Amino acid sequence: MIRNYIKTAFRAFTNNKAYSFLNIFGLAIGIACATLIFLWVEGEVNFDSVNAKKDRLYICRENEKYDSYVLTHSSTPGVMGPAIKAELPGVANVCRTSEDPASLLFSVGNKSVFVSGKYAEASIFSMFTLPFVQGNATSAFAQLRSLVITEKTAKKFFSDYKNVVGKSIRVGNKTDYIISGVIKDLPSNSTLQFEWLMPFKLFYDNSPWLWKWSNYSLSTYVELKPGVNPETINKQLYNYIQRREPTAIGHTFLFSMNDWHLRDSFKDGKMTGGGQIEYIRLFTIIAWIILFIACINFMNLATARSEKRAREVGVRKVLGAEKKSLILQFIAESMFMAFMAAVAAVIIVLLALPAFNTLVRKQLTIGLNNPYHILGLLVITVTCGLIAGSYPSLYLSSFNPIAVLKGLKLKSSGASFVRKGLVVVQFSVSIILIICTVIVYQQIQHVKSRELGFNKNNLIEMNLQGQMSANFNAIKQDLINTGYVENVALSDHAIIYGGNNTNGMAWDGKPPGSTVLISQRYVTPEFFETSGLRVLEGRNLAVTDTGRPIRMLVTKSIEKLMGKGSAVGKTMHYEGDTTKATIVGVVNDYVYGNMYNKPDPVMFFITPPKNAAVMYVRTKEQKDIEKTLTAIQAVMKKDNPAYPFDYRFVDEQFNQMFLSEMLVSKLSRVFAALAILISCLGLFGLAAYTAERRNKEIGIRKVLGASVSSVTALLSKDFLQLVVLSCLVAFPIAYWTMFSWLKGYQYHIKIQWEVFIIAGIAGILIALATISFQSIKAALANPVKSLRSE
Amino acid sequence: MIKITELQKYYRTEEVETIALNKLSIDVKEGEFVAIMGPSGCGKSTLLNILGLLDDPDGGSYLFNGIEVADFNERKRADLRKHNIGFVFQSFNLIDELTVFENVELPLIYTGVPASERVARVEKVLDKMQIMHRRNHYPQQLSGGQQQRVAVARAVVNNPKLILADEPTGNLDSSNGNEVMELLTDLNEQGTTIIMVTHSEHDARYSHRIIRLLDGQTVMENIMI
Repeated sequence: MIRNYIKTAFRAFTNNKAYSFLNIFGLAIGIACATLIFLWVEGEVNFDSVNAKKDRLYICRENEKYDSYVLTHSSTPGVMGPAIKAELPGVANVCRTSEDPASLLFSVGNKSVFVSGKYAEASIFSMFTLPFVQGNATSAFAQLRSLVITEKTAKKFFSDYKNVVGKSIRVGNKTDYIISGVIKDLPSNSTLQFEWLMPFKLFYDNSPWLWKWSNYSLSTYVELKPGVNPETINKQLYNYIQRREPTAIGHTFLFSMNDWHLRDSFKDGKMTGGGQIEYIRLFTIIAWIILFIACINFMNLATARSEKRAREVGVRKVLGAEKKSLILQFIAESMFMAFMAAVAAVIIVLLALPAFNTLVRKQLTIGLNNPYHILGLLVITVTCGLIAGSYPSLYLSSFNPIAVLKGLKLKSSGASFVRKGLVVVQFSVSIILIICTVIVYQQIQHVKSRELGFNKNNLIEMNLQGQMSANFNAIKQDLINTGYVENVALSDHAIIYGGNNTNGMAWDGKPPGSTVLISQRYVTPEFFETSGLRVLEGRNLAVTDTGRPIRMLVTKSIEKLMGKGSAVGKTMHYEGDTTKATIVGVVNDYVYGNMYNKPDPVMFFITPPKNAAVMYVRTKEQKDIEKTLTAIQAVMKKDNPAYPFDYRFVDEQFNQMFLSEMLVSKLSRVFAALAILISCLGLFGLAAYTAERRNKEIGIRKVLGASVSSVTALLSKDFLQLVVLSCLVAFPIAYWTMFSWLKGYQYHIKIQWEVFIIAGIAGILIALATISFQSIKAALANPVKSLRSE
Repeated sequence: MIKITELQKYYRTEEVETIALNKLSIDVKEGEFVAIMGPSGCGKSTLLNILGLLDDPDGGSYLFNGIEVADFNERKRADLRKHNIGFVFQSFNLIDELTVFENVELPLIYTGVPASERVARVEKVLDKMQIMHRRNHYPQQLSGGQQQRVAVARAVVNNPKLILADEPTGNLDSSNGNEVMELLTDLNEQGTTIIMVTHSEHDARYSHRIIRLLDGQTVMENIMI
């Protein structure tokens, strides 16, 4: 029986090549899209899965309550880790590491390269899965000046990279470190990323501020013992810091490694359930929608050409086929199509994967030797086959054999209604995707073009290395002398990211109990002009402001916090400290950290060059960038010869902050285009069948004097009505979806009605272009032929 | 073999009710060859559909081999049909996607005959219908007469007790028509009961008995000598 079904299906497939092509191609694109999305989802869901103890690993986080919000961050007191390991019985192990990766200059022989890494306690090797390819975890940090590097780093410096343990690397042009181990490169889907590890003691012993409970500057990782409930530990951690430092406002809790990548979104100190998982959910839904759209094509084309299959159904019924066996037959046919489509989809995925990997910045592989991938593909294919074959099988198997064998016209109003409904679903989805794509793009552009308060363009950032601090004035003058540079400044933090902040500032008139988080930046006087910040009131900081009394600049939002009138002349002080700092000027607010949020308050103090960390170079706008960089490099080589020229463009850093959103934008564009393509394939097929079915009507109309344009309009009208209906369905859904999405951003666009009109017109034009070929072809056909064939 | 008593069938639209069969009673004995004739709309095809268990009567009784089948559900009807009844249509109704062999094999598949046995039975019947040399051809590659032979082969491959033929020569020229009628006569002589709807007096003369219908009722029965 099954053989007979397959045989019939195969011959029906070969006898109707155009129909088969439309079905298989549409379904193949659908399955390929879904496969690509699911590969990406797999990569995201398996983030950090390289760690065998993933389920028991946590990072300590802090919730700090301020006047209007709760800040959640991962900075912890340096002394907390050993304390909780000693005191909390459920804790198996603890590892402290430096927070942000440090970029240090590594030199071997003549080769010097900046390499990024962390200071970590030796427990990192037992808590995280970091396989050693040379050396071992036990002896890795036995010596203080030891260094564990990745294979990639070993290859960078040594030709004999398979045998580097015991060799030395000079760090920062000062100290030699002995390589004690080489570990495998960390996979891209690991949150923990570094190219080297050094003993934490090196960092800790030289940073006395870390020894206080009131300073939050480290990452603390915790491994729980098997079976320990993290909530039990969280209860013990809640006031853990307060018991040692009563003024602290941070409440510690454990954040599971399972959630680091997927659910890292907090509001009011609690996980929102959002984060990357939202995009995973979104694209999983999109994958199934695209598959459903492709299945709709099959359903529509199958029922549209039901008249061609009706006689066969009649004959089979007369010969004893039960409805059940006919349903099975048609399901088998759709399964056959789905499997053909799956094969084509695999080919499409193999061809598209390199481009897709570039798009999503991953190294995904189709992995056909992975049984889970085969199972996944099988599930997708069978699901498609079942969905696509469901309605046609029920519809076709319900034909009355008497009617169909007599050749009576089938009463297809029910099927036609369903078919039209499915076309509306297809185009509604397509129009929703168009609208969402446009609005997501608009939102990203809106944020990217927002007034930041400083000028991110033509601004170069460099880490201060070697003699750069000491030679700052000479470097600055030399750079200006090149003619390519306008100004040069120093700061203790990158302008675009967050930095140190404090909740301990007080001023006259501050409401009692009020807690405000204020960022603090230490800069040289040139910083404001170089960055593009404007001094609105008072004066700039001066080099002479380093002594007492302390002088500071504040942003406009601090001035507002301090009450009416100018802030210039007012003073601020740390709570519990009588030393006052006088405000000498007010600068405009500027956006840093989260580009979607309102600007947070910042206060600026003067710093001597030796305490700064980064240098900013404002280049002249009209100058050629290549020549400018060459000129800057020449100066750096002269004034800081021991270090390679290492720089970043601030506008590129800015763009990096939108990677997730850009990815969503690009993916939604790609998948919207593919959803539209699949919908159009279906519409093309339907238009062809409609033209064929109305062949006689068209012939009679033409004989009676109808023009080509009127016949074309007649055939196009029905479809266009469906697209218009699709717009009416799509608009409110798209509005609601985008309204909800935009609500998540403090700084967002207003949804414009023009987007809906444009999407609607685009939908109509795309549909018109799709059906016009068939409509015009039918309208141009010789009526004699169609009437004679009747 | 067949006994229908006061069989009724109505066709209703929103405005009109048409009586297709009006308390029709007919007996057909096993081994008989009966022709049913009458003008268009007299109920011939409706009667054939009900006899073939393709349609339900609205009233009356239908005994097939002594079993009341008028109230059978679809599954039971399909089961009885595939084991006992063969159909021959005016327009052949072969499946275009299947070869001659596969078309004839189809009823055996539905009755669950094992594949090895199917080949022998299909070849035997194709041989009998003198169409064996066309076994791998598709219907579109055959003449009308050949297609009807295949249709007859398909109707008899399951050795049905009853063959229902709906104007089996309606689409054939006289020569091919006669051949088909000879085939049906042969089958009847081998014991198969045949009920044939026809407009052709010529074809009807092959039968043992002609039942003439008008407005859903029997108006005359002719016994052929």
